[in-house]
Amino acid sequence: MRTQNATAYRFLTPYLLIFAIFWIWPIISSFIISFQATRTVPWRFAPAFNWGRLIGDPAFYNALKNTLLILVIQVPVMIALAIVMAVLLNSPLLKARGLYRFAFFAPVVVGEVAYSAVFRLMFSLDFGIVNKLLNSVGIPKIDWFSNVTPAMALIMIAVTWRWAGYNAIIILAGLQSIPEDVYEAATLDRVSKLKQFFHITLPLLKPVIVFCAVLSIIGTMQLFTEPFLITERGGPGGGTETLGLLLYRQGFRSLNFGYASAVAYTMAGLAIAITLVQLWLMREPK
Amino acid sequence: MAAVTLTNVIKRFGVFEVVHGANIDIADGEFVVFVGPSGCGKSTLLRMIAGLEDISGGDIAIGGKVMNDVEAADRGIAMVFQSYALYPHMTVEQNLSFGLRMNGNPKADTERRVKRAAEILRIDELMQRRPKQLSGGQRQRVAIGRAIVREPQVFLFDEPLSNLDAELRVQMRVEISRLHKELGVTMIYVTHDQTEAMTLADRIVVLKAGNVEQIGAPLDLYDDPANRFVAGFIGSPKMNFLGAKIVDTSNSAAIIELVNHGGARLRKPLREAFPAIGAEVVLGVRPEHFFEAGQGDCDIPVKADVAEHLGSVSYVYANAGPEELIVEREASRQRASGDHFTVSIKAERSLLFDKAGARIR
Repeated sequence: MRTQNATAYRFLTPYLLIFAIFWIWPIISSFIISFQATRTVPWRFAPAFNWGRLIGDPAFYNALKNTLLILVIQVPVMIALAIVMAVLLNSPLLKARGLYRFAFFAPVVVGEVAYSAVFRLMFSLDFGIVNKLLNSVGIPKIDWFSNVTPAMALIMIAVTWRWAGYNAIIILAGLQSIPEDVYEAATLDRVSKLKQFFHITLPLLKPVIVFCAVLSIIGTMQLFTEPFLITERGGPGGGTETLGLLLYRQGFRSLNFGYASAVAYTMAGLAIAITLVQLWLMREPK
Repeated sequence: MAAVTLTNVIKRFGVFEVVHGANIDIADGEFVVFVGPSGCGKSTLLRMIAGLEDISGGDIAIGGKVMNDVEAADRGIAMVFQSYALYPHMTVEQNLSFGLRMNGNPKADTERRVKRAAEILRIDELMQRRPKQLSGGQRQRVAIGRAIVREPQVFLFDEPLSNLDAELRVQMRVEISRLHKELGVTMIYVTHDQTEAMTLADRIVVLKAGNVEQIGAPLDLYDDPANRFVAGFIGSPKMNFLGAKIVDTSNSAAIIELVNHGGARLRKPLREAFPAIGAEVVLGVRPEHFFEAGQGDCDIPVKADVAEHLGSVSYVYANAGPEELIVEREASRQRASGDHFTVSIKAERSLLFDKAGARIR
C-alpha cells in the first residue's frame, strides 16, 4: 500500500512542483511582502508600513465602498434574474430550449475585451443604441461615462449581462434535480404554482443559490475587467475604482508590491468573511 | 366516500395508445388493486383518475360526477406516490399540514386533522423530524398521513411499497389493510406485485398492454382466470403450462394428449366450447395441484432439478421432457437434484387454454 502511494506521489511530483512554485509560494511570498516597505531598495521589513497606510487610505476606502456597493446591488439582482431565467428555461412550454440555453451561456465565452468594447459603443453618449432607445421613449440622454452613478450602473449592467446566464444554467441544473412528483403532490394539495415556487422550489434550490452567491461574491470582490476596460480605469475620477483595480494600480503601475499585497489579502479576507456570513445565514436548520 | 367509474377510458401519448378503452366500476368503500407487468398502463390509469394526466377519450366519474375536466385538487382524491414525494425541507408536521395551511384552512381544524393522522399511523414521535431523518417505512407512513389529512373520498396508491425491503413491505401491507378497514373509504392501489394484490384487494383489475384482462375477487381470479395471462400472472410460483393437443371430443369432454410427456392422456370435461380434434391447446396446472402418482387422472414422470425448501412447503423445479415444471409437495422435502418421481394431474384441478391463450371451459 505504501509503495503504491509512493508511486502515485512520484507521478504527481511534476504537478505538485509547479503548484508549489506558482501557487503556494506566491501566496506565502505576497503575505510576507505585505509586511515590507517595497518602495525602498532594498525592501525592508516594516509591518505597519502597508497595513497602516491601508487603514488610513481614502483611495482604499473609495475602492472598498465601490466594490461593496456593486456586491450589495448587483449580486442579488443577478441571482434573482438567474432564477427567473432558469425557471423559464425549465418550462415545458419553451420551444428550442437548447438554443436559449446556449444564448444565456454565450456571454461567458465572449472575450472580455470584445464585450467591453461593444458595451462602450452601446452606451456611448452620442452614438450608442442605449441612449437612442432612451430618447425614443422620451428619456433624455445619459452620459454613462462622465458621471459616477450612471458609470456604476453601467458596470453592474455589464457584469449582470455577462454572468446571469452562467448562474441560470447552474440553477437550472438544481431545478431539474427537484423531483416532479413533489410538485404533483403539491398540485393535489391545491397549492398554486406561485406558492409552489416560493414554498417548494426556492427552499429546495437554496444550496444551489448559496453556491452561486458565493461564486459571485468571490468574483465581485476581484472585479477588474469592467471598471478597467468599460469605464476606463475606474473612471470618472476613481468613481468606479474597485479593490481589484486599486491592487493593479498599486502593484503594476506604481510597482508598490507591498501595498498591493496588503490590498490582495484584504480582498481575500473580505471574500472569506462575507462568504462565511452568507453560509451561516443560509445554513440548514438542525 | 365515493364510487369511481371508468367508462371506455383511452390514453394516447402522441399517436401511441397506451390504454385502450378501460371500463372499470369501483364501488364506494371498495379496495381495488390494479395489477400488471411494467408498461401495462396501470400507473397511467391511476394518474388519469388523479387528474395528473389528461384522458384522451372516455369518462372518469367520481361520486357520480364526471371529472374529465375537473382540476386534480378538486376531485376529492389523495395520492400516495411510489417515491413518497415528501417535501424534503419540511418537518413531518409541516409535510402533513402544508396543503391545508396553503389553502387557509382554520388552524384548529388543521391541527385536529394532523393529530388524527399522526395517531392513526403512530407517527406522533416523528413530527419534528425531516424526511431524510426517517426510515423508508416511516416516510411511507408520512406520505399516507399527508393523504389522510385531506380527508379524501378516494385514496390512490401508486406502488407505495416497492421501495421498501421485504419485511417492511409485509408490515406496511397489513397497515394499509387496517387503514382501509378503519377509514372505510374507496382505495385504488397500483402494484406489479401479485402477492400485494392478492392480500390487499377486495377486487383485482389485471391489466396487460393497456387492456383490462379480467376484474374479480382475488380467489376468483386465482381459481377461474379468464385467460392464460391472468392464470400465469396471479399465483406464486406461477402456473405450469403444458403443451397439449385435442385427440378426441365426446360426452361433454375432450381427450387431451400431453405432447411432451410420451403421449400421456387426460379426459377433461368441458361445458362451453369443444375445440376441433387436432387443435393445439395448453393445459395449466398450479404447482400445488400436482398429486402423488396414481391419485390423479394422468401420471407424468419428472426429474427433480432444484428444490426450494421454504419450511412449510417445498417447490421442486423439475424437468419433464422440454418443459420445466414447478411442483409443490409436502414430500418434496426429501427430493434432491436428479431424483426421478411421478406426479399426477387431476382434470378438475387443471385449466385448458387455446393456442391464443383464451380459456376453454
